[in-house]
Amino acid sequence: MTHPLPCWLRAVLAGLFAAGALAAAEPTPRQIIARAALTEDAAQQRALISSLLGRADDAIVPLLEAWRKDALFLHTAADGTKTPVQLTGDPDATGARVASRVDTGGPWLDASGRPVRLNPSELTAVEHNTSLRRAMKGVLDLVDLAAADPAKRLKAIQAIGLAQDAEKLPVLQGRLATDSVPAVRRALREAIALIQLKDARDEVKLAALAELRELHPLASADFLQRALQEARERQNAAVAGAARAALRAVEDHRTTVDFLGTLFRGLSLGSILLVAALGLAITFGLMRVINMAHGEMIAVGAYTTYLVQNVFGAGLTIPCFGLSVPLPGLNLSGAAYQGYFLAALPLSFLSAALVGIALERSVIQFLYRRPLESLLATWGVSLVLQQGFRLMFGANNVQVSSPSYLSGNWLINDVILGWNRVFVIGFAILIVFGMWLVLTKTPLGLLIRASMQNRTMASCMGVSTGRVNLLTFGLGSGLAGLAGAFLSQIGNVGPSLGQGYIIDSFMVVVVGGVGSIGGTILSAFGIGGVDQVLQQYLPSVAPGLGWVPGLGGFLQNLAQDAAVFGKILVLAGIILFLQWRPAGLFVIRSRGLED
Amino acid sequence: MKKLTSLLGAGALALGASLASARAAETVKVGVLHSLSGTMAISETSLRDVLLFTFDEINAKGGVLGKKIEPVVVDGASNWPLFAEKAKQLLEQDKVAVTFGCWTSVSRKSVLPVFEKNNGLLFYPVQYEGEEESQNVCYTAEAVNQQATPAVDYYLKEGKKKFYLLGSDYVYPQTTNLVLLEYLLSKGVPLANIGGGFRKDGSGKIISAGKYTPFGHTDYQQIVAEIKQFAASGDACVISTLNGDTNVPFFKEYAASGLTAETCPVVSFSISEDEFRGLPADKLVGQLGCWTYFQSINSPANKKFVADFQAWLKKSTVPGIVKEGRVTCSPMVLSYVGVYLWKAAVEKAGSFDVDQVRAAWKSGLSFEGPGGKVTTQKNMHLTKNVYIGETKADGQFKILSSFNGVYGEPWLKGKFK
Repeated sequence: MTHPLPCWLRAVLAGLFAAGALAAAEPTPRQIIARAALTEDAAQQRALISSLLGRADDAIVPLLEAWRKDALFLHTAADGTKTPVQLTGDPDATGARVASRVDTGGPWLDASGRPVRLNPSELTAVEHNTSLRRAMKGVLDLVDLAAADPAKRLKAIQAIGLAQDAEKLPVLQGRLATDSVPAVRRALREAIALIQLKDARDEVKLAALAELRELHPLASADFLQRALQEARERQNAAVAGAARAALRAVEDHRTTVDFLGTLFRGLSLGSILLVAALGLAITFGLMRVINMAHGEMIAVGAYTTYLVQNVFGAGLTIPCFGLSVPLPGLNLSGAAYQGYFLAALPLSFLSAALVGIALERSVIQFLYRRPLESLLATWGVSLVLQQGFRLMFGANNVQVSSPSYLSGNWLINDVILGWNRVFVIGFAILIVFGMWLVLTKTPLGLLIRASMQNRTMASCMGVSTGRVNLLTFGLGSGLAGLAGAFLSQIGNVGPSLGQGYIIDSFMVVVVGGVGSIGGTILSAFGIGGVDQVLQQYLPSVAPGLGWVPGLGGFLQNLAQDAAVFGKILVLAGIILFLQWRPAGLFVIRSRGLED
Repeated sequence: MKKLTSLLGAGALALGASLASARAAETVKVGVLHSLSGTMAISETSLRDVLLFTFDEINAKGGVLGKKIEPVVVDGASNWPLFAEKAKQLLEQDKVAVTFGCWTSVSRKSVLPVFEKNNGLLFYPVQYEGEEESQNVCYTAEAVNQQATPAVDYYLKEGKKKFYLLGSDYVYPQTTNLVLLEYLLSKGVPLANIGGGFRKDGSGKIISAGKYTPFGHTDYQQIVAEIKQFAASGDACVISTLNGDTNVPFFKEYAASGLTAETCPVVSFSISEDEFRGLPADKLVGQLGCWTYFQSINSPANKKFVADFQAWLKKSTVPGIVKEGRVTCSPMVLSYVGVYLWKAAVEKAGSFDVDQVRAAWKSGLSFEGPGGKVTTQKNMHLTKNVYIGETKADGQFKILSSFNGVYGEPWLKGKFK
C-alpha cells in the first residue's frame, strides 16, 4: 500500500522531536517504536508504525514481535514519566530481569550507572489492537520478504499481491530472480501477475492473465472477475477472452479442491463416527446390551482428558458431593504441558473401562437375557452419570485446550488438512487395527468371540463367561473413553456431551449390521462421506432441482441449510436402507439356537 | 400421606400469602421471570442475580415511592409455554407491578399475549431482532441498529469489502441477517460479496440470507473451508449470530484452518463476558464483540457497579448462587438499568399504575448507567451507547470504537434502500 500521509506524518514526527535535539536527524526505527509505545492516540500510533514501512533495520522485527506478544513494557516512574522497556537476561531470585531501553537498545542505567532490574509484574505491557497489529503486519510483510523461513516469505508475498500495490513490483521481481524455493517462486509469480492485472497497458494485462491462467490461484477469482467486468465495459474482446479463460482455469481448480476437500472431510467425519461407535459395536454389537450409557462413557473419557490437562497445569479443586477434592498440579509448561494429551489417551481408556466394569458388575450382568430391561436400566444409569458430571464439574462446559501439535494445518494444493483431523483418521485406523489384533490374535479375543456367539455353549466348554463378559464390556467402554479424549479436541466438553453422539453411534452400528465390526467401519465412512458430499454439493445442485414434482420449489432453496438437510437426507436414506436390509450391511449368521 | 402434606403446604402458602398482603402496604411486588433450570439457565441465572442485587441496592436507599421492592422469582425452566403460565401467575395471582424477564425471543413472544391481555409491564434486556413494539414491553435490549449495523459500520471503516453471514437457525439470526443484507446493499456492497447463501421465494425476492446451522451442531469443516475460500482474496470478515456452545467447535475449526482475526475477523453478537465462563477465550483472541456495555469500560460509574455487584455476591445468601469468577455483561447491565428506569418512571408518575408508568417512560427519562447515559423513547426502546471490543485472552474486551447515543429503532426491514 502506498503511504498516503507522508507529508503530515513528517510534520507530526518533526513536532514530536522538535523539543529534543533530534529535530534535524531522522529518528531511528527504535526511536519511532518507543514513541509509538508512548502514544495513546490509536490513529497516531498506527501512523508511526506505518512510517516504518520499507525501513531496513534489524531492530524492527524483534521489537514489533515483542509488542505483539505482550513482551514490550511501559515502566511508570514515581513522578509519572513513562519509559518503554524490554526485559533481557535471566530472572534473579525476585523474578526481576535486566531492563533495556526500547529507544536506544542499550541497557537502562540508573543515576549511579548501574543497570536497572525490573520485575514484569510491576510493569504494564504496551497495548495493541487489530488495526495496529495490521499496521505492524504491513511493516513486517516487507521485512519478511527477506526472511529465512520460506513460510514467512510466502505469507508476506501473498499479502503484497492481494493489496495489488504497484510500488512493490520491483521488489518482488528482484526476489523472483534470486529465490529458489519452488513454492515461494510460485507465490511471487502469482503476486506479480495480480499486481500487473491493474496495469493500464493491454499487453501487460494479457501476459498477467496468461500467467494467472497457468497458475490458477483461488485468491485471484475476485480480481479476475473484476478484470473481466472492466474489459467488457471497455469492449476489449482480447482481454475479456483471456480473463474468461483464466477464470475458467481457476474455477476448474476450485472444483478439484472442493472434491478433494470433501473427500478428506468425509474421511475425517467418518473417522469421528467410527471412533465414537466402535465401543458400542462391542457392547451392543457383540454383547447385545442396548447400552444407552455409551454416550456417558465417551463423556467420562472427555472429562478425564480435562482432569489430566489440569494436573499437568496448575491443578484444580473438584467440589465432589459437598467435599472439595484438591488435585495438585504439576505446573508444567511448554512441550511437557503439551504432552498432556498423549498421557490422557491411555488414562481416559482406563477410567472409562473402570466405570464400564463397575456398571457391568452392578447392573448389566443381571440383564443379559433381558435386552429391553437393559435398555431402561442403562438409560437410567446415563441420567445418573450426567447428573454426577454436573455435581462434580458444574453445568457449564469445561475447557480443554488443544495442544499445538493438534491445532495447525497443512495446505496441500489449496486443500486444508487440519492436524486434528489427520490425527483422528490415523487414530481411527490405529484402534481398529488394535481391536482386530485383540479379537483375532489373542486368547482373550478367542474367548470373547466364543462367549458372544453362544454364551451357554462357551460356558459348558469351561469358559468363565462372567469374566469374559466383564472384560468385553470394559473393553467397549474403554474404547468409548478413547473417543471422548479425542472428541474433547473438536467440540464441547459438558455434562450432555454423550447425548450428542449416542444417536449417531447407534445409527452407525445398526446400519453396519449388529455384531459386525467390518460393517461398522464401512457404515461409519459411508455415512460420513455421504453427509459431507451432500453438504458440499447440495448448494450447487439444488437450484437445478425445480423439476422434481411437488418438492421442486423446496429443493431449490437448500443452499443455506445444507448442514441440516445433509443430515436429514442421510437419516431418510438410512431409514429406506433398513427397509431394504433390516439387518444392516453385513448379516451375521450363526448356528446358535437362540437366534 | 402425600395428599396430606400437599394440603398442609397449600395451607401454609395461603397463610404466607395473607401475611404478605398484610405487609403489602410497605412493599411493592416485582416479578423476575427467567430460566433458572434447563439449557438457558447458564445465561439467565446471571440476570436473576443482578436483578436481586439491584433490588437490594434500591431498598437500601429507601425503595421506590417509599415502598421496599419485594421480588417474586419464578422459574421459566427454558420451557416456552411454561413462561406464559408463569407470567400469568405473576400478573393474576401475585399482581406484580412490573416484571423483569425473558432471554430468548421465543420466550418473549410466548409471554407477550399474557402481558397485553392483563396490561402488565415487561422489561426485556437481551439483544433481539426487532420488528416488534408492544405497549406492554419496555425494550431495554439492543435493537439490530444498536448492535449489528454499528458492527458493519466499523468493518466498512476498517476497509472490509466481503461479508460472510453465519448464524444459528432461529428467528433472531434470520431477521438480523435480512436487515444486515439490506444495510450492506444500501452501503454499496455488491450481492456477490455477501457470503453464506440466499433463499428466494417464487418471485425471486430474497427471503433469507446467510448460512445457518442447528443448535448443538459440531461439524463446521465444510463451512470453514467455504469461508477460507471466500476470504482468499482478502478484505473479508464474518458476521456471526451463532448461539451458545456451537461457538466452540466453530472457533476451534476456524483456528485450525489457519484463519485469524488479522486475515478474516469474526464479530459475534451472542458472545459477551458472561459466555466466556464456558468458552475458550484463547481461541477467540482478537475476534470482535459489539454490545452496549463492556465490563472493561473505564468509568467511575462502571467500576463502582462491578465492585458493588461482586461485594453483594460475596455476602449473598441466595441458594446455589455462583460466587467465583463472576463478570458483568451487557444483558446484565441492561437489566440493572431497566430497574432504575422503572423506578424513575414510577417516581415521575407518582404511581405504580402501568398506564401512568408507561406515559412517564414515553416522556423521555434518562439514567447514567455503567455503560453511559440511556434515555427512554416513545417507541418503548432506549437510546444508548454502542461499543465495539476486541476479545482478550482473559475473556474481557478491549474497546476499539464507540458510538454515542444510538437511537433504538425496531422497524428496520425495508428501511435501508
